[in-house]
Amino acid sequence: MKFGLFYEISVPRPWGRESEKTVYDNCLEQVALADQLGFDSVWAVEHHFLEEYSHCPAPELFLTACAMKTKKMRVGHGIIVCVPEFNHPIKIAERTAVLDILSGGRLDVGTGRSATWTELAGFRANPDETKKTWDEFVHCLPKMWTQERYSYQGRSWSMPQRTIVPKPYQKPHPPLWVAVTSPGTEIDAAERGMGSLGLTFGGFAEQEEKVKRYRKIIRNCTPVGEFVNEAVATVNFLYCHEDEAEGVKVGRRLSGTFNYLAAQLLAAREAYPSKSYPSLGLLPSLRQEASGPGDASGAPEGIAIGNPARILRELKKWEAVGCDRVNFLLNALETVPQEKVLDSLRLFAKEVMPHFQGASDSAAAAGGR
Amino acid sequence: MPPLYGKLDLAAWAKSAPVINGYKTEPWILKGARIVTLNMEIDDDPADNLLPATMHPSIPAYAIFCVTNYPDSPVGPFSIAEVRVSGRTGVRPRGFVLRSFCDNENARRELAARWGYPTVAGEVKLYVRHDRVVAQASAGGKQALECELLDRDMISGGDIQYIASMHLARNHDDGKLVLVQVDPDFTFSKAERGKPRVILLDNDAFGAGANLRLANPISATFTTADVTLPKIRYICNPELPAMQGTTKVAA
Repeated sequence: MKFGLFYEISVPRPWGRESEKTVYDNCLEQVALADQLGFDSVWAVEHHFLEEYSHCPAPELFLTACAMKTKKMRVGHGIIVCVPEFNHPIKIAERTAVLDILSGGRLDVGTGRSATWTELAGFRANPDETKKTWDEFVHCLPKMWTQERYSYQGRSWSMPQRTIVPKPYQKPHPPLWVAVTSPGTEIDAAERGMGSLGLTFGGFAEQEEKVKRYRKIIRNCTPVGEFVNEAVATVNFLYCHEDEAEGVKVGRRLSGTFNYLAAQLLAAREAYPSKSYPSLGLLPSLRQEASGPGDASGAPEGIAIGNPARILRELKKWEAVGCDRVNFLLNALETVPQEKVLDSLRLFAKEVMPHFQGASDSAAAAGGR
Repeated sequence: MPPLYGKLDLAAWAKSAPVINGYKTEPWILKGARIVTLNMEIDDDPADNLLPATMHPSIPAYAIFCVTNYPDSPVGPFSIAEVRVSGRTGVRPRGFVLRSFCDNENARRELAARWGYPTVAGEVKLYVRHDRVVAQASAGGKQALECELLDRDMISGGDIQYIASMHLARNHDDGKLVLVQVDPDFTFSKAERGKPRVILLDNDAFGAGANLRLANPISATFTTADVTLPKIRYICNPELPAMQGTTKVAA
C-alpha cells in the first residue's frame, strides 16, 4: 500500500492575491514535507470556475513546482480533462512530456472528462460527447508520446504528420490512469489497461466488488499504451492526531467543509439530462460517504481521521479489499491550520505508514520509524 | 465558512405569500402529467436577491421554467406555469418558486393550502408540435411567459433529475412565515430533451423585477409522468441557513 496527497486547492472567500498565494504556498510546504516523510505521490485536479472549491486550473504548473521541491515523490495529474474544448491533445502530449522530463521521470497521467455543468458549459463543451472524446484521447496519447512522427484523422480532432517533441523521460511512457467516479468506469479502465484512479470512496463491499471486477477484466485487456498499468487507487481525507476525539473532530470539520463546498456546484446531470452522466460524479458520492453514520469514535467507516490506531485500522480494510494506494485530501478552505496539517502528516508517517509494505521502507528511511 | 447566501427581501415577498393550512396534507397522485422544463443560466449577482437567506446560490445560478398540464386531479384538470431559481438548502439542490400561474381556481386554492404554492390566476397553455413544444402563461390578457423546447429528442426518464421546490408561505396555525419543501415523485412514461428558448418573459409578472437576467441556455425536457405531490416532509425558517433552521414534519 502506498500513500499520496491529493489536491483540489480550495480557497476561502473572499479570495485575493495573498490568500491564493498562501494556499498554494501551504500546499507546496506540505508536499515538500511529505516527500521527506516517504509519501509516494502528489496528485492535482484540473478544475475551472469552481469558486472556493478548487482554484486549480493549471495542475501542470503546480505539479512542476511540486517536482522542483521534491526528490522522490511522483507527480500525478488527477486528472487532465480529455475534452477538446479544455485541452488540445497535442498540448497534453507536449506538456506531460516536459513535466516528465523536469521531474526526472516521475509523472503519472490521470485522465477524465469533467462532471460539472459549471465547467463543461464554461468551455462550451457538449456533455454528450465527453466520454467519446476521452476514449479517443487516451488511445492517441501513448502514440503521440512514442511515435517519432505522428498523424491522426479522428472523430473529434485530427492532425497532419508532425514530430511531437519532446518525448517523455520515462520509457516507454508515463503510466496512464482513469478517474473512476461513475459506476462502470473501472471497467473502462480495465479494458484499456489503465490504472483505476478512484475519486469516490464507496463502501468497502462496493469497493471490493469493483476491484475484483477490475482485476479480472484487466487480465485480458487491450492496453491503449505500451504496457498495462494495473493499479487501484482510492481517495480519502486525512487528519491524524494523538487524541482520537480531537482527530475525529477536526477531520469531520475538514470532510464536512469539503463536502459542503462540493454540493454548491452544478453537476452535469442536474442541469443537462444525458446518458453520458448517469451519476452525479465525484462530489455527491464523496459527500454521502463521508457524512455517513460514524463508528464508536464518531467517524464514518473508512475515513482516515482520528488517532493513528483508528486510521491504521481503516486503511488496513482498504488494503484488504485490494486498493494499492490511498491519496489523501488534507484540507478544505484552510479549515485546518497549516501547522496542524504538517503535524498530522508527521504523525501518520511515524505511526501508521510503517505498518504497510511498500510504504514502510521509505517511511523508515525518512526517520518515520 | 462557506458560500454565499440568498438576499431575498423577505418582508416584501411575505406580502404575497400564500397561507398554508398546516403541514398534514395527504399526497395527491396525478396521472399522465405533461411537463415542460427549461433550465437557463441567469446572472449570478442579481439572482442572489431571488433566494431566501436559507439557501445558497448554485454555481452558476440558473432558473427553471416549468409548465405542467395535469389532465386529471381531485379538483379536475389544471395547468400550472412556474419560475424557480436554483439554489441549495445546505447540500441539497432545490428551486425556490418565485410565482406560478394556474388556470383552475379550485386547484389554486388547494395547492396553496396544502403545499404553499404561490399561485396567481392565469391562462396556461401547452402546445405539442412535432418540431417543438410551446408553453405560454398569461393573466388578464397580458402574456407573462412564452417559452419552447426545440429539436425534440428521446431520452430515458432515468436521465432526468427534477429538483425539489421551496415555497414561501405563511402557516395558518401560527402565522409564521416558512419555506415549505415540496419534493414530488415522478414515474416517467416518456422523456425528451431539447434546446430551451425563452421567447417572452415578463419579470414583474413573476415578481423578479430586474433580478432575473437570462444568460446561457442549458437544456429543456418534455416528459409524461405520473406525479405524486407528497406529504410535506421538511420546512425551513426563511431567515436562517438551512443547516440551522430546518424542521422535519413528516417521516
